[in-house]
Amino acid sequence: MNPGPIIGSMVGAALLGGALFGVSQQVGAAQERLRKGVTVVDQPKVAVADDAEADYCTPKFKEVLQRVLHACGLVSGQRRGCKPADVQRLAAISDEEFNELFAPLEKRGGVVMFADGSDKLDEDATKLVDELWENRRGARYFFVVARASKTGTRKFNQALSHRRANSVKFRIEDHFNEPDLDKKVGLLWLGYDFAQLGKAYCSWNVSKPGKGCNVEAINRSAFISWVDCRL
Amino acid sequence: MGKPIARGAAAIALCGAVLGLVFSAFSTIDYTAHLDRQLHAVRCSFIPGAGGGADEVAQNACQAALYSAFSAVLRDRVWGGIPISLFAIGAFSFFAAFATYLLVSGPRAPRRASQFLALAGWSPVVVSIVMAVISATQLGSFCKTCVGTYVASLLVAIGGTLAWWHDRQRARRGPAATGDDGEPAAAPPLQKLGPASLIPTWLATLGLFAVAPALVYHESVPSYAKHVEGCGKLESTADPKKALIHITPAGAKQPVFMVVDPLCATCGAFHQRLVTEGIFDQLDTTLVLFPLDSECNWNLTTPMHPGACAVSEAVLCAEGRALQVLEWGYEEYEALLAAGKGKDGDKRVIAAIEKRWPTLKECMGSKEVRMRLDEMVRFTVTNKLPVATPQLFVGPTRLCDEDSDIGLPYALRKLAPALAKR
Repeated sequence: MNPGPIIGSMVGAALLGGALFGVSQQVGAAQERLRKGVTVVDQPKVAVADDAEADYCTPKFKEVLQRVLHACGLVSGQRRGCKPADVQRLAAISDEEFNELFAPLEKRGGVVMFADGSDKLDEDATKLVDELWENRRGARYFFVVARASKTGTRKFNQALSHRRANSVKFRIEDHFNEPDLDKKVGLLWLGYDFAQLGKAYCSWNVSKPGKGCNVEAINRSAFISWVDCRL
Repeated sequence: MGKPIARGAAAIALCGAVLGLVFSAFSTIDYTAHLDRQLHAVRCSFIPGAGGGADEVAQNACQAALYSAFSAVLRDRVWGGIPISLFAIGAFSFFAAFATYLLVSGPRAPRRASQFLALAGWSPVVVSIVMAVISATQLGSFCKTCVGTYVASLLVAIGGTLAWWHDRQRARRGPAATGDDGEPAAAPPLQKLGPASLIPTWLATLGLFAVAPALVYHESVPSYAKHVEGCGKLESTADPKKALIHITPAGAKQPVFMVVDPLCATCGAFHQRLVTEGIFDQLDTTLVLFPLDSECNWNLTTPMHPGACAVSEAVLCAEGRALQVLEWGYEEYEALLAAGKGKDGDKRVIAAIEKRWPTLKECMGSKEVRMRLDEMVRFTVTNKLPVATPQLFVGPTRLCDEDSDIGLPYALRKLAPALAKR
């Protein structure tokens, strides 16, 4: 008798059976791993895209801006802008400390200068507003901090600085088709009550460089800048 | 002399079958491991089961083969498809059993057996030739495990042919051969031919062996339906400033958002996969450039892909040729990344772009194109997307990273039933 067919059949059955068992086991093991899933610890942490966060975003800076954002309407959407008394109260810091917070924005921002008693943006001012607005990069909020010089009454200068802040905002509104502008632009108008600028600010990126800048002139202005902080 | 040759031929076929069985088993194990939707190492060696070691080229060849569209069938119906190595396992199991039968039976086996082995033994070689041509023309590399299987197939075919040749020789000599003394030689009696029905019976058995592992696999593979939709959605597809790039081929029917970095190797491989699978031309693609380069992407503090911002600007400047420039970036990513490293890296990348695409010189670096690129990165911020590329959103639904290789056809079929595999 030839044992070949029997041995061949047994080998075939063993190999096929083993293959089927192996396949079933392998798939089952993978299924079990799939069911358990990859644990959180095993998963590599992937950052999520967010607004820019520059080095100057110190906790104090962010704290002050956060308060301003909430109180001046950018987050809550209830009101638009902050007047001097609000800013002083919300910032809860001195004039010098307030200005110091913005010092790191020297290169990022600029000072839009206005004529005496005027809230009109001239050609240079308009150009500076456009340039700075277009240079947004990863920033989320654009701050406009308008001031007035000490010529005239407090009430007049508060209103004037308010109009100056609005002039910047209107320029952006009219020229750039920016959706949700109110959620991006924060307006602060200080009159001459709070955080007046010193002459040193004449060396910043001003709209009228080298044109008779002094303490009075530098405060007839609106400091504007994108702020690269996750607020 | 006859018996050793016949048994030797059977032994060669048996060796080939066992070798093929081992190679295909390891291939299957590697493939099946991926069913958990995670990344796994791939064995890649002429020594069955051994890892590829530090040979990166060999490793890449095996990974390319495993992730290719040719490694499995029914890929749009079963997650990952049914690996073709399963059919090889079944077939080599059969040939191992058949060769054992011949080896043990020796001259007692019917002559039909060697005829069958000579005929059927070439079938793995035919498949191997087809796969080798695909490797050469489509993948551009040969994986060692695959080559091992090709060699095993050849051994089975050689063993079968040798057995058949020996049988033919004996049949020709026949019992009439004479000795030196003029009397009939004492040759062993010629084997029986056996009934003709043996061959279709063995062929059917071979077919049964070949498909059985695939059937078991198909029945036991888990369901992935709930997994493919669990990786998030786009919160907003709004593009108020029209910053995003639209690529709409003539046959496009499925809107997708694709977040890519032109110097990311994975993006290039993913793009190539979509093209090879015939999927890309069916996509109405909205392209979001997300260069992993801190030069323009504030989500990074150091450049992961230096020069990617410059290439992204080139893609934006190219307008109607955006896809061509993007594909050029994918092809040249190694050279461009090398150029982008170190001091003045950006200048070198820009020079390379201007050399290849001189008409883009005026546009690159302009305020408008930089603002548009900012808008693209901001799109990822609005949608809180991971800082990673590539990302594909089929409609608003994100294709899971785990589904971007062997599970791609299945996941796309689930997410976009309109996408028909060509």
